Amino acid sequence: MTLKTNNIRTALGFLGGVALLYVFMSNDNPVQFEELALGETTEPVYTIVDVKKIHCSDMRNSRECIAAYEEFGREQPVSLWLGNSQVHAINQPKPNDETAATKLHRRFQLHDKYFLTYSQPNANLQEHYILFAHMITNIPVKTLVLPVVFDDMREDGIRTSLSSSLSDPIVVQQLGQGELGLKLSENYLSQSRPENDLAGLNDTEQERVERVLSEILSESWSVWASRPSFRGQFLNFLYMSRNWIFGINPSTTRKIIPGRYVLNIQAFSEILDLAANKGIEVLVYIVPLRNDVKRPYHADQYEAFKSEIETITLQKGFDFSNFENIVPPDFWGFKSSTTIGGDLELDFMHFTADGHRLLAESIYRKLLEMGSKQ
Amino acid sequence: MIFNSLTYLVLLAVVVPLYWILSYRARLLLIFTASITFYGFWRVEFIPVLIFSVVVDWWVALRMYSASEKKRFRLLLISIGANIGLLFYFKYLMFFVDNSVSLANIFGAKLDPVLVNIILPLGISFYTFQTISYTVDVYRRHINPETDFLLYACYVTFFPQLVAGPILRVSEVIKQFVERKAFCLNHIFVGSRRILYGLFLKVVVADNIAPLVDQGYSMPIESMSALDVWTLAFLFGFQIYFDFSAYSHIALGSARLLGIVFPENFNFPYLASSPRDFWRRWHISLSSWIRDYLYLPLARVKVLDRSVGGLSIATSKKGDGRALYATWAIMGLWHGANWTFVLWGIYHALMISVYRVVSPLGNGLNEKFKSVGGVFLTLPFMMLGWIPFRAESLNQTFAMWGKVFDLNAYFWLGMRENTYLITFILLIGMFSSSFLRKVFFTNSPLLSRGKQLLDITAIAVMVALVIVFLRPISQFIYFQF
Repeated sequence: MTLKTNNIRTALGFLGGVALLYVFMSNDNPVQFEELALGETTEPVYTIVDVKKIHCSDMRNSRECIAAYEEFGREQPVSLWLGNSQVHAINQPKPNDETAATKLHRRFQLHDKYFLTYSQPNANLQEHYILFAHMITNIPVKTLVLPVVFDDMREDGIRTSLSSSLSDPIVVQQLGQGELGLKLSENYLSQSRPENDLAGLNDTEQERVERVLSEILSESWSVWASRPSFRGQFLNFLYMSRNWIFGINPSTTRKIIPGRYVLNIQAFSEILDLAANKGIEVLVYIVPLRNDVKRPYHADQYEAFKSEIETITLQKGFDFSNFENIVPPDFWGFKSSTTIGGDLELDFMHFTADGHRLLAESIYRKLLEMGSKQ
Repeated sequence: MIFNSLTYLVLLAVVVPLYWILSYRARLLLIFTASITFYGFWRVEFIPVLIFSVVVDWWVALRMYSASEKKRFRLLLISIGANIGLLFYFKYLMFFVDNSVSLANIFGAKLDPVLVNIILPLGISFYTFQTISYTVDVYRRHINPETDFLLYACYVTFFPQLVAGPILRVSEVIKQFVERKAFCLNHIFVGSRRILYGLFLKVVVADNIAPLVDQGYSMPIESMSALDVWTLAFLFGFQIYFDFSAYSHIALGSARLLGIVFPENFNFPYLASSPRDFWRRWHISLSSWIRDYLYLPLARVKVLDRSVGGLSIATSKKGDGRALYATWAIMGLWHGANWTFVLWGIYHALMISVYRVVSPLGNGLNEKFKSVGGVFLTLPFMMLGWIPFRAESLNQTFAMWGKVFDLNAYFWLGMRENTYLITFILLIGMFSSSFLRKVFFTNSPLLSRGKQLLDITAIAVMVALVIVFLRPISQFIYFQF
């Protein structure tokens, strides 16, 4: 009797699990976990100008940007802008709004120069380092525009969407010139990457079979096909639960995470060394920040961070600008709640299209100034 | 083949129904074919190595049975030599060469490092130990040799335990194959439940802890605080436990689908009240193997012939200290060809030695107090023991251990807040799951309806999360051993 009821419970549990997924699937709100910080009031924009893809994220679409340059760039010198979601997100977007990336591309075309942008949500400087090494092996980069973000100094790890670039020996060779670059390329293969579904099957006979089975299942069972979205929803739920329990919101003070900070500073330094070796000009800037409310940073740490970035940049002979106050309070907005049942919250990172206009103007002026110095 | 994959579930879906409708010989043939297929899905070229090990030990054991005493010993040496030879070539040759080159260079030889990459055949440490135990048991006359090659081959290659154990004895498996059990739905439900638990622990828990551990251990030591070291020690301790116990759950569940019952390989090891108790609860089949085929012979104590009990007998003997340290150094080396693993083994030998000295001091204390106090004393030491197991080098190990004793390093945090939070939740979860299991599920019959609902809900949530997270993003940690 006990055995029988145990088995019935097991069967009901299995059926219940599948039913649960169908219930969640009816909530058709796919979530990309990495874009969670944007919320509903902000929109990611990766622009295509006149059929040219001039703004990419990472290896998932890098080929399109490189192909567009090869077709339309006519061997023009390239200014490469690497950034985080501030670069591709427009707060409270309206029709025909443009990002700074688009505006800069158009303006530099008038000077017969090619302005190309890559941005990834929460990108840390180690990721920028790998992307930079990838780009200089594929495109004649003459100028690098590198924003430095205090929040992103708290990030670590290399996302899988950048990993394919590490299979290119020239990229590995470029990175190998720096101590951290060498470590990043060596360590990468030995680390766990939840983003790569089949990483555990690399170099095995099973990999192909698993891929085929997963494709068949995706085609025949909608729940299976929706799994990435479910994972996003689940992680979003955990993230919001944590924020709710501990009262965390975008205004909560963020401190430096020493281990990550050290690695990102080292990456920053090695990016500049690599650029110097390749004869590439660099503009480093501190990103615009909302200044009408208390900043969510530990004040002393933030000041020390800016000072350290400026010192390293100038020591290596490159240009530094502090753009933290160029976007006035009116051009900032709010974001969806990052906690369960919460209200709109202040957005410290993403501004409106007017903010993009001002940022584009500042970068444009600075790059012209740098050009005239040469 | 990896358990946490669709391919494995398809293999089970094909093998299990066929198994129950086939006749005895056909069942054995099916198991052998499925096992070779399972192994070949990793790398086909290493199947001959596996078959070689199977054939040698089967042949040696048969010859040994009717041979003279002197010849029996020679045959035993052939068997052990063949298996240890395979292990040495694939697992330790480069370690030996690298260390020899380094040693020679210390004395001014100026040799270049040898750059050869030898791929370690999956599961070789497990199946060689299993086959060694077989020939040794025949040599000791604990068992008779198996005359049926197919039956013996099924014992060694049986896919649920082929690549990461449990390391089973002939007497525990072959008789179950021979029994020719009739189909019973209970096997399917119980087996499915165990597989579900295993998949949940692997794909939902262990695989999501792994990136945090990887990131933590790749941090520069100087930016780690003492609390970071403790957190990383605990976090890796949880990762390896969930990962390996997940494997064991799936192995036990898969075997159960075919009506085969394996002994348990884990029993809440982090609730152990002493180092001795820990090794009665962690990777029990390996501990028992080490006890019977290494430690007790070295300590000249009579041996047992079963894979249960862990190291309880071994560690309670106040025998030869050299045997203890030698056993643990070898056990460490078994896990990997690196000095960090040797250090890990010696650390545990030291823990056991200290426990032997310290435990009599608590003789007058209340048993419950001793038991609970023992858990809180043992746990941190067991977790610190994982540092050499996960660290890249001895330098990293000692630097991390050094932080623990640096009082100034306790006043700041070097990692992202989530890392501490997740570690804390896992710690609380571990204690509360054991508590709930004991109190809620066994002592409260009045709550049976609530219990049933909770059980169904827990299974439903686990099923949903396993479906969502089932991806072979990483192999099981113990596959590398």
